[in-house]
Amino acid sequence: MTKAIHFLPDEETHEATRLLPYVMAVMVYLSALALMGSMMLHKGFGDMTESLSNHLTIQITTADAGMRNAQVAEVTALLHKTPGIDYVRKLNEVEIEKLLEPWLGKGNVTDDLPVPAILDVTVSRDLTLNLDAVRGMLAQVSGNIHLDDHQQWLGRFLRLMDMVEYTALGILLLVVLATVCIVIFGTKAGMAENREIIAVMHHLGAQDSMIARAYQSRFMKYGLKGGIIGLVLAFITLVSLIYLSRDLAEGLVRIPELPVVEIAILLVIPFLAALISMLTARITVLRGLGRMV
Amino acid sequence: MIHFENVGMRYGMGSEVLKDISFNLKPGSLHFLTGPSGAGKTSLLKLMYLAHRPSRGKITMFREDMAGAARKDLPKFRRKIGVVFQDFRLLDHLTAVENVALPLWIAGGRGAEIEEHVEELLTWVGLKGRMKARPPTLSGGEKQRVAIARAVIKRPDLLLADEPTGNVDPAIAKRIMHLFVELNKLGTTTVIATHDMGLVEEVKADRLHLSDGILQLIKAGQSLPKTTPFDPAAFATASLDQNEFGPLGYDGEDEL
Repeated sequence: MTKAIHFLPDEETHEATRLLPYVMAVMVYLSALALMGSMMLHKGFGDMTESLSNHLTIQITTADAGMRNAQVAEVTALLHKTPGIDYVRKLNEVEIEKLLEPWLGKGNVTDDLPVPAILDVTVSRDLTLNLDAVRGMLAQVSGNIHLDDHQQWLGRFLRLMDMVEYTALGILLLVVLATVCIVIFGTKAGMAENREIIAVMHHLGAQDSMIARAYQSRFMKYGLKGGIIGLVLAFITLVSLIYLSRDLAEGLVRIPELPVVEIAILLVIPFLAALISMLTARITVLRGLGRMV
Repeated sequence: MIHFENVGMRYGMGSEVLKDISFNLKPGSLHFLTGPSGAGKTSLLKLMYLAHRPSRGKITMFREDMAGAARKDLPKFRRKIGVVFQDFRLLDHLTAVENVALPLWIAGGRGAEIEEHVEELLTWVGLKGRMKARPPTLSGGEKQRVAIARAVIKRPDLLLADEPTGNVDPAIAKRIMHLFVELNKLGTTTVIATHDMGLVEEVKADRLHLSDGILQLIKAGQSLPKTTPFDPAAFATASLDQNEFGPLGYDGEDEL
């Protein structure tokens, strides 16, 4: 007997647990999608809010072009003198047309369309800007000048982002819980199926830990196999979704990039699935055997 | 080796299948366990191979209290016991060699010498050409011989056999009995449950006779007394330290 004796029958003959790797694959698929989605949102929208958080947008909606240009020059001069403002830049016509493109379509911004002047203002990170004072200053120039600090929009957006992330984590938690339940069920079914074998092993003097080891290594394999299948399918799904949504949402929404480093962390999921399966099976078997003579 | 004192056993909430069982088996003794079907022979063997706890009474085996032994301590005692089950209980997906090697493997044995030892024993029980066969392809007699080989491969301190010759022809039965007697001579305490009275008479060993859950001792060569129920009071007066065992280890004829 140079090799170990596998006292449990082959997986293929196990009616109760034969399909378990595929159930595990589904569980890992769902959890990987939830995690990837959460990571992408976190990274992608995090970048976006970061880029918006030190920017102000000023719109000058005066209808008369000459007056509008004069107000642009006056506001720019005032802002340059204001402490806490690093940079003021007027968006050119091409940039404004590009901003309107998703709503009006390409080439539909005609000369007679009253397009406001837009100033992109970069705020210093080191100094605190008094936005009320800036608003008052702009109001003195004209009532048609509007300051948008994005805070209202950003606040709602961040709350939505948090909600999406917590939902993803909730789904992940539920999937882990479901996985544990499935493994417990599978282990118990496997033990019931091999009741006679376990009894014989006991009569021959096998320790509970020896029997538990056979089950835990089997369920570890199930977890690993299911984990790899699930993760690969999740990657394929995610990449396909990103590819398709790029085509559909061109210009309207910025689709977050796959954060490569964070996604690489997901490679541990199959090992985690294997670990969860292994420990759950071990605990279930030991508890089950503990109730026997 | 085995000491039962006022042992009772029941399954679940049912009535007692064994009642006030008391006996003492000397190390190295050989006994037959006889009695009609349903008398409790298999239940008594279950207590002896530690597959069941008594519902009352005291069981001492290997100088340890088994009735109250911790669960985690049982495997080490079970490894000292070889059991031949009536229904063989071989693992169908393992070969004959693997089935027989299982007790050695459980005890931590590894290596080619184990295989050699197992093959030698299987050859001895007449299964040389069936080493790699799996139980579903073996006949009843062949399965029984594999089961016997598995029970004796480790030279157990205690050998319990439930109808070990029930499925084999007389020549093989004789050979198996010879194996048991030889093992017994080497020091293995042996209890064989059987219906084969020819075998009992041929070996000339004492008998533990069970009827309706009550145990009686019948000395070798004697026939079943008509009414000799167990007298616990008489048993209680017998000292286990007196070493007044009979030739095959029974501790006195007056107790039972």
